[in-house]
Amino acid sequence: MKNPTIKISLFDIIPFCILPVLLIFFCAQAAFSSGIGVAGKIKAATKKLDMKTQVETVIPLPKNIVMANMEYQGGTFFTETRKNELKRYQCSSCHNNKKVPIRNAANISHADIKVVHGEKDSPLACNTCHSKDDRDFLVTSKGSKIDLDHVYDMCGQCHFRQKKDWIGGAHGKRVTYWAGERVVKNCTSCHDPHSPLFKKRWPATYSVPLN
Amino acid sequence: MDSDKKKKINRRTFLKGAATTAIAGSAAVTAGCKSKGLLGSTEAFALEFAEYFKKHYRLMTQKEREGTIARLEKLARLKQGINIDIDSTGPAQNVLYGYAFNVTRCEGYMECVQACIKENNLDRKSNTQYIRIFEMEHGQMSPDQGDGKYFHMVPKQGHFYMGVQCFQCENPPCVKACPTKATWKEPDGIVVVDYDWCIGCRYCMAACPYWGRRFNWNPPEIPKEEINKKQHYLGNRQRVRGMMEKCTFCIQRSRKGKVTACVEACPTGARVFGNLLDPDSEIRFVLENKKVYRLKEDLGTDPKFWYFID
Repeated sequence: MKNPTIKISLFDIIPFCILPVLLIFFCAQAAFSSGIGVAGKIKAATKKLDMKTQVETVIPLPKNIVMANMEYQGGTFFTETRKNELKRYQCSSCHNNKKVPIRNAANISHADIKVVHGEKDSPLACNTCHSKDDRDFLVTSKGSKIDLDHVYDMCGQCHFRQKKDWIGGAHGKRVTYWAGERVVKNCTSCHDPHSPLFKKRWPATYSVPLN
Repeated sequence: MDSDKKKKINRRTFLKGAATTAIAGSAAVTAGCKSKGLLGSTEAFALEFAEYFKKHYRLMTQKEREGTIARLEKLARLKQGINIDIDSTGPAQNVLYGYAFNVTRCEGYMECVQACIKENNLDRKSNTQYIRIFEMEHGQMSPDQGDGKYFHMVPKQGHFYMGVQCFQCENPPCVKACPTKATWKEPDGIVVVDYDWCIGCRYCMAACPYWGRRFNWNPPEIPKEEINKKQHYLGNRQRVRGMMEKCTFCIQRSRKGKVTACVEACPTGARVFGNLLDPDSEIRFVLENKKVYRLKEDLGTDPKFWYFID
């Protein structure tokens, strides 16, 4: 009499054992395969996108930019110009072997520029970067002339790691738009070439505790 | 015939009818009273009343969305005297937003925080901020060890800075926690809130492991001239008391192709923003060429916000 009753109860229990196992299995599957995750999506996205059509809005090109003389992974790109920001460019309007009245000397000399660039015991001199022969240009250590708008070629001689990052997009930043033609800040947009380190200053605001 | 008509009066049509009657009735009542009483102008009251009966943003048709936007714009004109422009641009194809933060470059100037407050119409009174910058000692890694309340000249010797905001998780726990489906992940990866559908239970705040969400304990106060008039329905439009808000990667900017306000304000270029699905984008360059890491990756939230070191 006893045995059959045990058998029946076992048969009753088995489905109740299997069901939760199945439930857990399907739940886990749903949880882990609901999406391939960001990494998977990134890996799958290898198709080149047209940079002009990623958003519907028409993106205007800003003023005062120049096409860089190199390419990044997506082709050509633009960078901000420098010459339009210099108050006394062209340099050759003064540096031209003509005589300058001495009473103007205090105003037009570059005594206000303090070079804090290079190593402490051997800082850079003016002529490390500025050309002696053609004052409107910079000159590399190998003697090639560089336009002030393409200053990244100058800085990149020493700061080649930063230059590599800048070309790719890990150093510096894009101007206003992530979409559209790539326009990035130039080295001198953020760094003062005569004293390139960012200054110590007060933060713009402060935070209060969250709780 | 009769039964057909009866059937057609379901809950929705009944409520709609009730709403219109109420609007008409209240208009009649308030018109009888002296105008500009306790409830402001009659028109504003009618608009506000109609706002109570709108649907969840995702269930609205384009026409209904335009309707509520028109109402909100009108309300701002009537109540605050400002002309705002609420946008409802949807997600673009083949776009998934991603963000990278250069721990080496950040100097703790907090220009990003300031720009975010202005861009997103954050409450000035309670000093609500979406971004937190933590000052960390060398050797630390987790922001909860850092100092988020520093106020002295930066950068401080022997310290580095780490910014934390909403990471726009691909598998967001806040969305799962929401009982009213007021928050969700858009197809372009941004987690947004329908402010009118939020009941203010703060479950999402508890669910977020990154302290990415903010609650309006009081009615947000913004000086009238500082209100950013370029708004998005799911982004920086004005909030009221008792609802959650969060960083939306400046949805009103990013969907127009612009970088977020924090990226634009950053003086050191520590912030990188872009399309993860574009193999030529800066963010992809960072992911492929730099050593990157994410906070609390083991939780499986799959955030779209990476930290990297030069």
